[in-house]
Amino acid sequence: MVRLTAPQLHNTYRALLGEPLILPDLPQDDQLYGFTSLSAATKTVAPVEAELYEDATYAVLDQVWADPTRRDALVGCAPTDLADACVRSFLEDFTSRAWRRPATTAEVDTLLQLAQQIAPTLDASEGLRFALAAVLQSPHFVFRVATGQPDPDTDFLRFDSWEMAARLSYLITDGPPDAELRAAAASDALLDPDVVRTHAQRLVDTPEARAALVRFFRDFMNIGRLDELDKDLELFPMVSDTLGLSMRREIERLFENVVFEKEGDFRQLFTTRETYVNGDLAAIYGIEGIEGTDFVPVTLPDDGKRGGLLTTPGFLALNAHKTESSPTHRGRFVRISLLCQDVPPPPPGVDTTLPEPTGGPKTLRERLAAHAEDPACAPCHKQMDPIGFGFEHYDAVGAWRDTEHDLPIDAESELDGVAFEGGVELGGLIAELPRVGDCIARRFYQHATTHLDERSERAYVDDLVDRFVQSDFDFKALVVEMVVSGGFRYALPQEEE
Amino acid sequence: MKKPWQPPRVARQSRPRVVRPSRRMFLRGLAAGGAITVGLPLFEMLLNDNGDAWADGEELPTRFGLWFFGNGVRLNSWTPTVGADWQPPADGGLAALLPHKEYVSVCSGLDVKTPRHPHHSGMSAVCSGGPHLKVDDVRDTIVSTMKYPSVDQVAADYFFQEQPTPYRSLEAAVTRFRGTDEGTTFQYLSHNGSVNGETNINPSEESPHRFFDRLFGGETADPLIKQARASVLNAVSDQIADLQPKLGAGDRQRLAQHLDSIADLERRLGAPSPSCTKPDDPGDFPDLGGNEQMAEKNAAMSDLMALALACNLTRSFSIMFSTCGSGAVMWPAGATNGQHYMNHTEPAPWTKQHDSVKFTMSQLAYFLDRLKQTPEGDGNLLDQCSILVCTEHTEGWTHSQDDMPIVICGKGGGRLKGNVHQRDDGGNVSKAALTALRGAGLPLTQFGHEAGSVTSGMTDLEV
Repeated sequence: MVRLTAPQLHNTYRALLGEPLILPDLPQDDQLYGFTSLSAATKTVAPVEAELYEDATYAVLDQVWADPTRRDALVGCAPTDLADACVRSFLEDFTSRAWRRPATTAEVDTLLQLAQQIAPTLDASEGLRFALAAVLQSPHFVFRVATGQPDPDTDFLRFDSWEMAARLSYLITDGPPDAELRAAAASDALLDPDVVRTHAQRLVDTPEARAALVRFFRDFMNIGRLDELDKDLELFPMVSDTLGLSMRREIERLFENVVFEKEGDFRQLFTTRETYVNGDLAAIYGIEGIEGTDFVPVTLPDDGKRGGLLTTPGFLALNAHKTESSPTHRGRFVRISLLCQDVPPPPPGVDTTLPEPTGGPKTLRERLAAHAEDPACAPCHKQMDPIGFGFEHYDAVGAWRDTEHDLPIDAESELDGVAFEGGVELGGLIAELPRVGDCIARRFYQHATTHLDERSERAYVDDLVDRFVQSDFDFKALVVEMVVSGGFRYALPQEEE
Repeated sequence: MKKPWQPPRVARQSRPRVVRPSRRMFLRGLAAGGAITVGLPLFEMLLNDNGDAWADGEELPTRFGLWFFGNGVRLNSWTPTVGADWQPPADGGLAALLPHKEYVSVCSGLDVKTPRHPHHSGMSAVCSGGPHLKVDDVRDTIVSTMKYPSVDQVAADYFFQEQPTPYRSLEAAVTRFRGTDEGTTFQYLSHNGSVNGETNINPSEESPHRFFDRLFGGETADPLIKQARASVLNAVSDQIADLQPKLGAGDRQRLAQHLDSIADLERRLGAPSPSCTKPDDPGDFPDLGGNEQMAEKNAAMSDLMALALACNLTRSFSIMFSTCGSGAVMWPAGATNGQHYMNHTEPAPWTKQHDSVKFTMSQLAYFLDRLKQTPEGDGNLLDQCSILVCTEHTEGWTHSQDDMPIVICGKGGGRLKGNVHQRDDGGNVSKAALTALRGAGLPLTQFGHEAGSVTSGMTDLEV
C-alpha cells in the first residue's frame, strides 16, 4: 500500500476533474533511502495530513461546482435528481477512475446513499459533491492498494490487471491509468508481460513520463535540496535567489537530453560537454553573453575544466558547505549514491573535529590529511576523501579556482588504485565503471517496487542490470524492462501477525 | 466506569469514532459570541470565585509541551549550580532563561540507557523514553524511526480521554533544515510510535502563514455543511474499516492511524467552534541576504502557539526549533556553515557552537515570555504549562549521550516548583520526561520503555 505523492495527487485531480484546476496544498513528501517513492510506501496519514486531504478535496471539487456548466459537463447531465441514471453512471465511472479499479455495486450504492442523505438539507448537486468528497478522501484514493492474487503457476501473489495498470501508470507518468490502460485492464490483458511492455513503451514517450522520470533522477541525485541552496553571499556575491533552482534544472535538462532526446547511453551524462546554461549558471561557469532565466544549449570548451554531471555547479555546490568545498561529501556522494557502496558512519565517541591549522594557511586537502593519518578515521575516509580531492578545483558554489588561500590546488588523486587528475578525468573513469550502471538500475528497482530489494529478489535485480547493459545503457529501456520484471509484477509475501 | 488511563505502549489503536461534545465544551461554545478573547482571562462565568478553577470545581487545564533543539550544547558552559535558585556559569548557555528562572528547572547527570547510536538513540530516548527503531542499515548510517510515541503524544492521549480539545496536538517547526536522510528520527519531532517500521509521525508546520491559516483562518460555520462533511468522514471511516481486514499486518497498522486521524477531524466538526480572536496573519519569512530569518519566524510561531494554547485549541504541543542533527546555519551566532558540520569541524573551545546554544535559548526565552504575558485564571499561561526542553546529544562533536542537557519549564498548574536544579549522576534520561509529564498532571508512576523504563522522576522539581 503506497500513499500517492503530491505530484501524483495533483495529476490525479487533473485527470479526474479537468483543467483549469488550481492545485491545492498537500502533505509534504519526504525522502526515505533518498526516494519519495520509498517514503510513500511506509507512511500513514497523520491527523494534520487528513485535514490537508480534506481541505484539498473541497478545494478542487469547489472549483468545478462553482461553474454549473463545467459541473454538468463533468457529470454528463445537470445533477438535479439523484435518481437520474446519469448520476449513478457518472458516480460509478468517477469512482472507478479515482480508485483505479471498478467500483462495486455496493460501493456505488453506499456513495449514492450518502448523496441522498445530504440532498434534502442542501440539494441534489451538493449531495453529489459530498459523495465525490468521500471518493477523494478514501483510502482507495489516497493509497494505491495492491495486494495481488494467488498465481496458479507459482507460489507468489500476482498483481491483477487493474493493479498493474496503476503500478505502471504511476511509475512511468506519476498519474492514473489513461483510457488505453483502463481498457487493457478491463479485458484483463495486463497479466501478459508482452502487453505490459507495449503499454510501457507507449507511456515512456509521453511528456508526463519525462516529468515523472526526472523526479526519479532528482531523488537519485538528491538535487531537490538545491531549491534551498544556502551559500555565503559575501564570499559568493554571484549567488542569486534562483541559482539553486537553476542548478537543479541544468542537471535535470542534462538527464532529459541524454535519455529522451538523444535516447543514448546513460553514461554520457558523466562525460558530455553539452549542457544548458542560463544567466545564473553563466556567472558560475564564467561564460559571457548569457543572461536571463531561459536556458541556452552550450558546448563547454574542451579545456579539461568541465565535462559531465560531476562538474556541474549543482552537484558541486550541493555536496559542499556554505563557505567551503567538501571533498568528504563529494566523495561520499560518488561512493554511496553513484556506486551504491556503503561507507560506515563515524564511530560513536570519536572526536570528529579537524585539528586547527598550524604554521600558516593550509588548503582543505592538507587539513583533511588528518583523516588519512588517524587510524579511527582512515578506513572510511580513504573511501571518500581521495575521490573528493579530484573536485578541489571547484569551490563551494562550483566555480573554478586555481588556488585556495593563495596555495595551488592539487587535484591529483586516485579512485580504487587508478590515478586521475581533476573532475573531468574522474567523470571519464566513473563512466567506465560497471558499478555505475548496476547502481542506478538497482535504485530504479527500489524506486519502482517501493521497497529495498530483498535477498530473494536478487535474480530480478541482476536480470534488470543485464538488460540495462544489453540495451547499451538506454534508460528508457531500463524503465520498460523494469515493469515486465517479475519483481514488478509479483508481490512479496505479506508479513503475517 | 471509566477505565484508568494507561500510557500508550505502541502506536495508538483506533479510538471511539464519535465523541459527543462535553458540557464544558458546550459552555465554551455558548461563550463564543465574542465574550472570550485570546490573551484575556478565560471567561469569568466559567471560573470559580478564586479564578483558579472551572466553576464546576475542575482545575484549570494544564498544557504539555516538547521543545526540541538539535546537536547538543557545550556542557561546561551549560550546567548551572545544583539545588534551589540555580545559577549558570559565566557566559552560560542558559543565561537567556534567567528572566524566567522562577519557571525554569534543570535536570543534569541523566544518561541515555537505550542502545546507543549517534543522534538516533539520544533523540528517541529524550523524546519518547525508549529506543529508536532501526528500520534498516543503509548507505553510511542507519534509517530509524521512534518505536514509541513521543511524550507530546503521550500527553495528548491522556488529555484526549480526559477532555477533548479541538486539536489533539499541535506541531510547529522553526528553522528550515529538515534533516539528513536517516529516517524520521532526523526529520520530525512528534511521533506516534511504529510497530513495523512504518512512518507514523505528526509533521510540524513550517510556515507561519499556513499555521495561522489552519488555526485561525476561519472555517465555515454553516451547521448543514459541517454535518455533510461529518457524514463524508463517517463514510471514509467505513471504507477504511472495510479495507483493513484485506491487508497485511503492516498496512492494517497504517490504516489504524488513518482511521484515528479521520476520527479527529470528525470530532472537531461535532464540537463548537473555538472562541479565539483572530490574530493578524504573520505571513512567511523568506531568507534575507542569504540568511534564514530565524528569530522572526520563531516569534511568529511562538505567538501563534501561545494563542492556540490560550484559547485551548489543544493542550499538547511540540515545537521543533531545529532537527536532530540539524544543519541549519546559526548565523545569528556567527556561524557560517550548518550546525552539524560545524560541530564536527569547529576546534575547541567550540565558541560558535556555544553561541548557537545561547541564541537557541534566547528563542526559547521569547516563547516562555509570551506564555508568561498571557493571563489565565489568576496567573498566567506558563503557570499551567509543563514543557520538556531537550536535545539529542550532550555534545555534538563526540556524539556523547551522558549527562544530557534538559530543562523543564512552567509550573504545571502548581505541580512544578520551578527554579530548581536536580543532579542525578548516572540516572536514566527518562526520569526527566516522567517528571515533565507528571508536571502536566498525568498520573504516572512509571514512564519509558525497555532500557528506558523508570519508576521515579526528578522529584526535587515536583511540588
